[in-house]
Amino acid sequence: MISSAYIHIPFCNNICSYCDFSKIYYDSTIVNKYLNELKQDIESTYNNELLKTIYIGGGTPSSLNIKELKELFNILSILKKDNDYEYTIECNFDSITKEKLDLFKQVGINRISFGLESINKDNLSFLERSLAITKVKEIIKYCKTIELSNINVDLMYALPNETLNVLEKDIDFIIDLDIPHISTYSLIIEDHTKLSINDTKPIDEELDEKMYKLICDKLTEYNHYEISNFAKKGYESKHNLVYWHNEEYYGFGLSAAGYIENTRYTKTRSITKYLDSNYINSKSIEYLTTKDKIEYEVLLNLRLKEGINLNKFNTKYNNPLSKYYNYNKLIEKGLLIEKDNHLYIPENLWYISNNIIVQLLMEVI
Amino acid sequence: MKRENIRNFCIIAHIDHGKSTLADRILEKTNAIEARDLKSQMLDDMDIERERGITIKLNAVQITYNYGDEEYYLNLIDTPGHVDFSYEVSRSLAACEGAILVVDATQGVQAQTLANLYLALDNNLTIIPVINKIDLPSANPDKCIEELENIGFDKQEIILTSGKTGEGVEELLKEVIKKIPSPKGDEKAPLKALIFDSKFDTYRGIITSVRVVDGKINVGDEILMMKTSATYEVLGISIDTPYEKKVKSLSPGEVGYIYASIKSIKDIHVGDTITTKKNPADTPLPGYKPMKATVFSGLYPIDPTKFDDLREALEKLQLNDSALSFEPETSAALGFGFRVGFLGMLHMEIIEERVQREFNIDLIATSPSVIYKVLLTSGEEIEVDAPYKMPKNEKIKLTKEPFVKASIFSPSDYIGDIMKLCQDKRGTFINMDYIDTTRVQIDYKLPLSEMVFDFFDRLKSCTKGYASFDYDITGYEESKLVKMDILINGEIVDALSVIVFKDFAYNRGREIVDRLKEVIPRQLFEVPIQASLGNKIISRSTVKALRKDVLAKCYGGDITRKKKLLEKQKEGKKRMKKVGSVELPQEAFLSILSTGDNK
Repeated sequence: MISSAYIHIPFCNNICSYCDFSKIYYDSTIVNKYLNELKQDIESTYNNELLKTIYIGGGTPSSLNIKELKELFNILSILKKDNDYEYTIECNFDSITKEKLDLFKQVGINRISFGLESINKDNLSFLERSLAITKVKEIIKYCKTIELSNINVDLMYALPNETLNVLEKDIDFIIDLDIPHISTYSLIIEDHTKLSINDTKPIDEELDEKMYKLICDKLTEYNHYEISNFAKKGYESKHNLVYWHNEEYYGFGLSAAGYIENTRYTKTRSITKYLDSNYINSKSIEYLTTKDKIEYEVLLNLRLKEGINLNKFNTKYNNPLSKYYNYNKLIEKGLLIEKDNHLYIPENLWYISNNIIVQLLMEVI
Repeated sequence: MKRENIRNFCIIAHIDHGKSTLADRILEKTNAIEARDLKSQMLDDMDIERERGITIKLNAVQITYNYGDEEYYLNLIDTPGHVDFSYEVSRSLAACEGAILVVDATQGVQAQTLANLYLALDNNLTIIPVINKIDLPSANPDKCIEELENIGFDKQEIILTSGKTGEGVEELLKEVIKKIPSPKGDEKAPLKALIFDSKFDTYRGIITSVRVVDGKINVGDEILMMKTSATYEVLGISIDTPYEKKVKSLSPGEVGYIYASIKSIKDIHVGDTITTKKNPADTPLPGYKPMKATVFSGLYPIDPTKFDDLREALEKLQLNDSALSFEPETSAALGFGFRVGFLGMLHMEIIEERVQREFNIDLIATSPSVIYKVLLTSGEEIEVDAPYKMPKNEKIKLTKEPFVKASIFSPSDYIGDIMKLCQDKRGTFINMDYIDTTRVQIDYKLPLSEMVFDFFDRLKSCTKGYASFDYDITGYEESKLVKMDILINGEIVDALSVIVFKDFAYNRGREIVDRLKEVIPRQLFEVPIQASLGNKIISRSTVKALRKDVLAKCYGGDITRKKKLLEKQKEGKKRMKKVGSVELPQEAFLSILSTGDNK
C-alpha cells in the first residue's frame, strides 16, 4: 500500500558547487510548462491512495514565486491526505519570505526543511552559497510564530580546510536556534559537480571521523535515530523513515525516484524529455525479486538506530532473517547486536556501516 | 595446384616494424579480402593482439596471385616480433622456404631484426630485405640501406614499401615469386607433415596447422602422430584464404589445417610429424627445439572452486603455446594453484590476461622467479624456481643464478643512461661497437633475474623508446641471494616472499612494504606490514584502521544509487583474497613487480 509521495522541483536561483541533484536555473517560462507536465505526471500514476507523507524537494522549491507556488499546491491538492499526515517542503533562506510561509501554512504544510549547511564564510564561499544570519534568525522565529515549528536544517561538514572549531560554531548556532531536526551531510565529491570538475580532494579520513564524533557529542539532546539524522523526541522525519523502512512511495517530477508495485524507478533527468511528457527513464526501471527486496530491506534498515525489526521482517517476508543471512557471524565479531528482536549496528561502528552491511550481504545463505 | 607455383614465406622483423600492417596490404593487393571486411591487423585474430598492436601468435593464410600467365599460391605466415616470442618465429620458419625481413625506415636495424635474420639463415631460408614505413616524414631509407648493406645485403635487392599506402607491395609480391624457391618434396613418399600450430575449437575439437613435406594427406586418411602414436581419421582439411576454404587434400609444400575430432590435448604436440597409419614414414621431421621457460610464477584462482577451470584453461592455452609449462602447487596463503613457466614477462602478462579474459577466471599471480641453483652443505645441488622452495640459511653452502649476455642497440646519445641502467642491474660491461656513426651495440653480462622483470620497460623509458635488445642465457654463476619474507599482520604470506640479491634486500624490502601500504585497503583493524630476512625485520609500515565507510548523506528517495554503491563494494570485496584475517587485493601480489625507479 503506497502512502507516500516525493515531488521534485528542480529550479534554483543559484547552483551550489557540490550539488548533484537534478536542477536548473529558475526561469518563469519553464516553471510554467514544468508545472503542467508535473500535473500530468501525477495524474497518470496516482491511484487515489490516502497519503501519510508528502515531501516537496529540489532543487529549491522556495525559488518559485507566490503565484507559481499557488499553482503547485493547486496541482498537489489532488493528493489525498490521511489524518496525522506529514507534509514537508524544502526551502532556502535566500528565497523564502513570510508571505510564502503564510501560504505554506494555509495549504497544510506542516514541516519545513531549510538548507543552511554552514554559517562560516569560507565554507559558504566554497559551497558557492550565500546566507544572511539575521534573516535566518528572523525566518525561524516567524515559523515558530505561525506554528510551523517542525523544522529541519541541513548541516554540511568535512569541507576542505574546515577545522573542528569551525564545525563546532556551526553546530552551536543550530542548537541556539532550537531546531527539532538536524540532517548532517559529510561532503561527498560527486561526479559532474563543480567540485569534481575542479578536482577537489576529500579531507583526511581521521578528521572526517572526528567531525562526525563532534556532531554526535554535541547533539546529545537529540535522538540520533539514523546515521546522519538527529531529532528531538517525536520529530523524527516520517517521510525519511518510509525510505529507511523500505516502504513504497511515488516519485513525481524531474529525476524523482519512486518505488511502487515491487519496482524501483527514476524519472528522466532530462528537462527536455520531461517537458515532452517522457517522464520515465526506462533504463532506470528495476523489477525487484524477493531477494532484491530483502537486500534493500537490510541495507536500509541498518541505517537506523533501531536496525532491523526481526518480527516485522518475519511478517513481511514470511521467513525469519536468519533464513537468508548468516548474521551470527557478524554478531560474533561484534559488528552487529541482536537485542529485543532487533538487529542493529552498534552506534560506535556507524561510521563504517557500509563495510558491515557489505559483509552481511555476503553472508547470504 | 602446381607445386612450382607454391611459395611458402613468412614475415620477420623487430617488434613494431609493421609486419602485420604489411600483411594487411598484401591481402588487399591480392584481393584476398574485400575492402569492407578489412580491419587492421587482419591476421591477428585475438582481441588482445589488436588492442596491444602486437602479434603474439603466428598466423598462416593462403593467397593467390597472378603473375605472368600463371596463378601462384602464396602461403604467408605472420610472426611475432617481441623477444619473448622468438620460438613462435622459429616454428614458422620451419614451414617456409623464404622470409621477408622487414626493417622500419625510421628505426633501422634493431636487435630482433638481427636475431630473426640469423634464425632464418640457420633454417636456410631465402631472405628478401624490405624497408617499410617509407611514407613517414621521419623515414630515413638511405640510412637503413646502409645498415642492411653492413649486414650483407646488396642494395639492388632491397625493396622499399609502405604498409600504410601500399607502395612497393606489388613489387614485393613479384620478388617473392621470383626469388623464393618453390617447395620440394616427394608426393609418392610416405606422408610427413609438420604440425606447426594447434588450437581448440568447441565444435571440431583440436585443429592442427600443418605443412606437408612429403606425401599427401587426404580427407578420410587414418593418420598417426609419430611422437604420441595417437591415430585419428581426418574429417576435414581447410586452408585459410583468410576465409576458410575446404579442400580434399594437401600435397607437398602445401599449408593448411586439419581436424579429426581430436579431443585429447595430450595427443597433439606442436613440432610433431603426422604420417599415415597404412604407410608410415621411417623417421619424423626434425621438429623444434623445446623452449625452456625462464620465468616462473604461481597462478591462483581468487575463487578456490575454480582450480579445475584454471587447469583446463592452461591446458587449452598450452595447445598452441608449447612454451607454456605448469604443475600444481599449494600456498598456505592462496590455497591450490599452479606454478607456471613462461618465456619472459610479456609472455607471462599475456597468459594471465588471456586466462582472465577468455576463461573468465580472476587470478592472483605471485612474484615471478627465475630458476636458481642452490648448493647445499650436504653437497647436493638443487634447483629453486619459487621463493618457498629456498632451503633454510644454515643448509645453504652457496647460491647461483643464471646470467645472460644482453646486446643492446641504441642511438649513441643514450650510452650513458644505458650503462647506468646496466650497472644498477648488477651488469658487467663486455663490449661496445659503433654500428654506424650514430648507433651503437652495447653488450653486457647481466643476471637474468634483473633482466626479466622491468629491464625492458626501463630501457625503453631511458632511451625514449629508441633502444632494442636481445639476450642469450650464458650460464650459472655464484651470487649472494637471500629469501625475503613479507609479514602481514604478523604472519608470513608465502606468496609474497621473494628471492633477492643480498645487497639489494633493504631497498627492495622498503619499496615492497611501502607499495603494499598503498594498495592494501584499510581494514577494520590496524594492519602492520613487515619485510624480514630470517627472523630479522628490516622494514615496517602500517595500514591504518578503517575510519570512514559510510554514506553520510541522504540521497533523497534515490535508494537504488546507494544499493549500486554497495553492490560495487561487494564485487570489489569478492575479488579480494583473504589471507588470515586480512583482505588483500590482486594488486598486492603484483606490488613486488611494480617497485623500482619506474613506479
